[in-house]
Parts: sequence; structure tokens; C-alpha cells
Amino acid sequence: MIASAVLTIFAAASLTNVLPQIAPHEQYSFSGSNMLAAQIQQGAPADVFASANTKLPEQLYEQGLVEKPVVFTRNELILIVPKSNPARIHSVYDLRKPGVKLVVGAVGVPVGDYTRVVLHNLGLDDVLGNVVSQETDVREVLAKVALGEADAGFVYLTDARTVRGKVATIGIRWSAQPIVQYAVAVLKSSHRLAAARSFVQALLGKAAQAKLRAAGFLAPQ
Amino acid sequence: MIKRIPVFAVALVGLAFIALPIVAVFARLSLRGISSSIVTDALVVSLKTTFVAQALVLAVGTPMAYVLATHRFRGRSLVVTLVELPIVLPPAVAGIGLLAAFGRFGLLHTGLPFTQAAVVVAVAFVSGPLYVRQAIAAFEGVDETLVAASRTLGAGRTKTFFRVVVPLARGGLGAGEALAFARGLGEFGATIMFAGSLQGVTQTLPLAVYAEFAVDFHTAVALGGLLVLVSALLLLTLKWLASSSTSAFRFALSTSS
Repeated sequence: MIASAVLTIFAAASLTNVLPQIAPHEQYSFSGSNMLAAQIQQGAPADVFASANTKLPEQLYEQGLVEKPVVFTRNELILIVPKSNPARIHSVYDLRKPGVKLVVGAVGVPVGDYTRVVLHNLGLDDVLGNVVSQETDVREVLAKVALGEADAGFVYLTDARTVRGKVATIGIRWSAQPIVQYAVAVLKSSHRLAAARSFVQALLGKAAQAKLRAAGFLAPQ
Repeated sequence: MIKRIPVFAVALVGLAFIALPIVAVFARLSLRGISSSIVTDALVVSLKTTFVAQALVLAVGTPMAYVLATHRFRGRSLVVTLVELPIVLPPAVAGIGLLAAFGRFGLLHTGLPFTQAAVVVAVAFVSGPLYVRQAIAAFEGVDETLVAASRTLGAGRTKTFFRVVVPLARGGLGAGEALAFARGLGEFGATIMFAGSLQGVTQTLPLAVYAEFAVDFHTAVALGGLLVLVSALLLLTLKWLASSSTSAFRFALSTSS
């Protein structure tokens, strides 16, 4: 098999805007990290997997599908509401109001799991009763709030930045934040192992880190 | 003889190609997957929304098709084309259209998104045209002299419609409705965009297959198996109806594919 020069990168939906800025010539498939992990388990021909958590790449590592994952960036969660704020939400505690249309990631989707951690840390587990839709990746949560169909949704800080002007953000206090670490790993089945490993190295390098920081991502440690 | 061998070989390959994924779903089926509450919830949501949507399709689509079949007016072919458009429209476009029309900031400012009613609307929008299209053809095939005779013999418009026109067209109507039912049951794109996905509320079987693929493959396979069974049951009913009905029904079936 002749390996093409272009790498196929499976990456978390929240990396949609930033990764092509860092490496514009690779081929990307952006989706919910758990969807991508499921595809890799079914034998999808990717070279690199960049996940919005460490759990999924670690799982694939234990299954012998990827090389040892490394954390390359971090993020934090934020609550967004449409600019018009139809449900008048000004703090996370307003999510308790009856009838609020809250959109979250589904269980298993990294942003969905982080959202549940945040709500639990804030003592707001009952807010899950106001959930009207469970999305398969963070960008679908973002779209439904930016469109104004949902009253509120939990996304990453970096996602909110991509739709400035359409949403207002409400911060979550530091003590309630989950640890949002992004891990990247090279697929053992890759036909371009050397190129894939240098992609991962470059992601940890100065230039890539600066671009991640400019997009709102945090330093890996 | 030499000429026949490749034909049979090709036929066999084709058959295997179609049968294999269907058989594979059942080969990978495990009891662990079937017992999940996601499966039963999705089945209930799917059946409920499909039946309500198809009741609406029949109630609104039948008179609509009759009017279009029996009236000739300027721009008629344009109207018929418009009615048929959702059949060929990519489901994602249908989802965008429904949001633009019935979304909170859509033309009509409704509160439909994220409700079970939104699933019904999405299913009716993408599946209804299949029925209406077939129903127009069925009504056009009804012998006008029989309708005229019924009227001359003193039956009113409504009575003639239900006692003469509908029975004569029922083969085509049944075939159209079966197709709409099948399309509605498999609806995915418009539903996930317009109604969202919430277990027990808006998560239909196809939506659950997609969500569970990323979470638990066993459950996804179980859901797939369930959809295969329901679809097969539908197809068998359809064939049974066709063989025990008028030739118009068979005609409608053979031209609908």
C-alpha cells in the first residue's frame, strides 16, 4: 500500500476551528470524541486521534489500538445563552427555573460528561430535568443555542468564541470546573507512523501551542 | 451455458451484498443490548410519532391529493412538483427548512422544537409527499363515469367520495401510505435537527442507533435489529395487501420504486 503524504486526523468537534489553523494540509474528521473512538474500534483508517478527554484515548491504548496518549491542551466549561436570552438566564442557578430549554451533550460525549460533573459540583443535578435534547457533539449544542432554539447550553470556552455576537456567556466558578484535558495518540494501524508521530510532537511545540492559546485553549499543565 | 454462468455469479454476489449486512446485524445481536431502556423508549417514541404522523398524512394528504387529481388549473404542475420536492430533498435541508419555518425565530415563531410534536412534524414533512404523490396517481386512475353515475343516482359529493372514489383508489392509496410509513419510520436528519434527541421524548429508533453507536455498540446493534424486524414486517404486510387487492395496487407498487 502506498501511503499518501496527507494524514487523516480524527479530532474532537471542539478542535474544528483551531486544528486546520495549526496544520492546514491534513485531512480532518471532526465529531464527538466518543463517536470517533467507536469508529476507530470498528477499524476506521485514521492516523491520529485527538480527543476532548483522556479517558477515550486511554481506553483505546489499553485495547492496543493506539500508542501512548499525551495531553496537549486543556479547556474549561462555560454556560451559553442566545444573545436575546429568551429565558432570562443570568447565572447557572437560573437553570433551575421551570421550563428552561437546556441542551447538553449526551452521556459518553466528553462535553456531556463534563456538564454532569459541573452540575453535580454546583449541587444542580436536578437541572437535568430541564434538558430538552442530548447532542452527540459540542458543536451541536453550540448550534442549537446560537440559533436561539435552546435557552442555554454547556460548551467549552473555546466554542463560545467561534460564535461571538450570537451568544452571551456565563462563567462557571473555578472550584466547580471539571478537569478538561485533551489527549492525542497515534493509531498503531497507521501507514504513516513517522509523520503521525511528528504531528503529535508539533502539537506540543511552541507554534501550535501559541495558536491553541490564541483560540482560548489552556496550557497542557 | 457459458453465457449463463457469469449472470448467475453476478446475481449471487448482488444477493450476498444485500443479505450480508442484514444477517450480520442479527449475528452480532446480544441479549445485553436488547434489555436497555433506551431500546424500549426509542421503540415507543418511534411507533407513537409514526402513527400520529401517518394519521395526519392520511387526513390532510387524501383531500389534498384528490383536489390536485381532479382539478386542472394554471400552475398545477408547479404545485405538484412542490408537493413532491420533500421526497428528493436531503433530510438535513428539510431540518433547516423546518427550523426556518417553525423554529422559535422562524417565520411562524412556534415553540415546536424539542417536543414530540416536532418529531411528528418532521416525519409528516418528509414522508407525506410519498403518499400524496401516489394518491394523486390513484385518484387520476378512477373512472370518471363511475363517479358521474354515483352523482346521477343521487349520492352527494361526500358520499360519492367515500363510497365510490376511495374504494376504487384504495390500492394506490395503500401503497402510497405504506411507502410513507416506511420512510417516516427511518427518518433521521430532519428529526435530529428540528426535534433534537432526548430519550423517551424525541429519540426515535434511528436517532438511538446513531447515539448508541458512540456509547454502546451492543445496544446500537439491538436497535438495528429491531428496525430490521419492524421494516420486514411492514414490507410483508405490503406484499400481502398487494396480492389480495386490486391490480391498481400492484400497478402503484411497481411504479413507485
